[in-house]
Amino acid sequence: MNSMNNIEHVQSLMKDICSPIKENIIDQFQIAYELKQDDIHKTLGYLKNAGWIQLSYLSAVDWPDTNEIEVVYILMNWKKPVHIQLRTRIDRENPVMPSIISIYEGAKYYEREAHEFFGVKFPGNPDYEKQLILEKWDDMPPMRKDFDPRQYSDAHFVGREYSHDFTELNNQPSKQAKRQQRKTRINSLDKGGK
Amino acid sequence: MREMKLFLGPQHPGMHGNAAVHMFVEGDIIKKSYLLPGMLHRGFEKGMERKTWVNNISLIPRVCVVEPDINELSFALATEKLAGIDVPDRAKWIRMLIMELARITIHLMAYGGLGSPTGNYTLMHHAHADRNTILNIFEKITGHRVYHQYIVPGGVRKDLPNGIEQEIHAFLDDLESRYEEYRRLGVANPTLLKRIKDTIMLPEEVVWNLGVTGIGMRSATNKAYDIRKVMPYCHYDKVEFDVPVSSYSDARSRVDLKLQEVVQSIRIIRQVLDKMEDGPVRVPLDKGQAMRWRVPKGYVYAPIESSRGEFGYYMVSNGGTHPYRVGVRGASYPQGLLGIEKYLPGTRIDDAALWVDTMGVCSPEIDR
Repeated sequence: MNSMNNIEHVQSLMKDICSPIKENIIDQFQIAYELKQDDIHKTLGYLKNAGWIQLSYLSAVDWPDTNEIEVVYILMNWKKPVHIQLRTRIDRENPVMPSIISIYEGAKYYEREAHEFFGVKFPGNPDYEKQLILEKWDDMPPMRKDFDPRQYSDAHFVGREYSHDFTELNNQPSKQAKRQQRKTRINSLDKGGK
Repeated sequence: MREMKLFLGPQHPGMHGNAAVHMFVEGDIIKKSYLLPGMLHRGFEKGMERKTWVNNISLIPRVCVVEPDINELSFALATEKLAGIDVPDRAKWIRMLIMELARITIHLMAYGGLGSPTGNYTLMHHAHADRNTILNIFEKITGHRVYHQYIVPGGVRKDLPNGIEQEIHAFLDDLESRYEEYRRLGVANPTLLKRIKDTIMLPEEVVWNLGVTGIGMRSATNKAYDIRKVMPYCHYDKVEFDVPVSSYSDARSRVDLKLQEVVQSIRIIRQVLDKMEDGPVRVPLDKGQAMRWRVPKGYVYAPIESSRGEFGYYMVSNGGTHPYRVGVRGASYPQGLLGIEKYLPGTRIDDAALWVDTMGVCSPEIDR
């Protein structure tokens, strides 16, 4: 198989474009790069012309310890099957990442989603601030690490009262009885579920 | 003519899952449309960060309702890549068996689902009856009908039960013998052809603009771009199968490809049952307690071929007992959101349901 050659091909391409901070070969079909923010558009444009015409995924990862947000792009080339991961770290307090819809049109909704869940701003994308999935959200972006869903739901929704205590386990069938039930069920499947 | 607002869904037989297509129509021509997701959002990605690696097994199949096994396999492959686990041979074959059986169920459901927006309910009932037989087989193998939780990091949960091979063979022979009947009911049915032939076209350049994968891409580009072929996982490089393609992508040819893929899946399953050898099906993840299993640091994307195209989990580990970040790349994300916004205008109202069905838009995958 010539799949290892494809990885070497990507490595030689990347040498011409920019100097990555980190390079990591994951397997014979995947390679990951960490880049500086300014290099992203240049690299994406170059790789698109080199055959990586499909944007497979765009998302973000929150790193509160270093006060950074990582934006991730995954590209795919079907002729030379290699997935390329490009990652870049941006400031967490004011996360701005210029949009890439001029290069990959399909990024439009991914960017809207990343804005909603991580608060990353994508200038250049006309709709990035519009509501997509979360309706009338009034809290911090929910995929950030310091957002606690339990706290949010306790504050926003009324607790439920049960008329019956579901924690008691006395009425549960024994393990053996459950096994017997399952056996009967499987036997009955042979007769058409009767 | 006056412009009107119309909603297709969330409760509509032509809509898959709880999403709505919001349309502005003049007469019966769509002028503007977009998808309204969010009604099914359950916060899976956040939930996965708050559970251990092993606990997540029970959560992941629920991401996509009709096709849960792709989630299990993608999660398992990503975790194994991060942790550097090598899976036993037999487990790989069993995984392929489950994946292909699942592919038949989902293709039958989509093919039969064509019945509901077009009014051909006989097709739907036939397809659902066959899907039910596969669900019975799944129940015997895994103990569950829909959410199996069977493919786990390190292999599969347990070995196949005795005598299941004969049952699968019998079912495959039965299904194959009724292939012509399915064709007559669906893609060769003159009544249905009036609705699906030459409607909702997908030109090749649109495919690349959107990033559509799977049947949508193969029906327009005439190229066998299938993850199982170009970057094989499990043992897909050890079996022979064809990837059906076409160069003219209307609703009819996309549906036709689905039916042809069922035939290829049958071919793969027969080879899998033939080549499978006895052996262990699972390796221990780590010494000691599985709940305290720590996965090494890393960033990994694990793509697999689902019935709708490239599906993958993007997983980040910081070396802890919980995944640091899990991102789901839904296969129907491009055609579901940008496709409906950009390429549905100009078609008729009733074509919207056909786009959703033949392009395989699955709303649970968009709202995860």
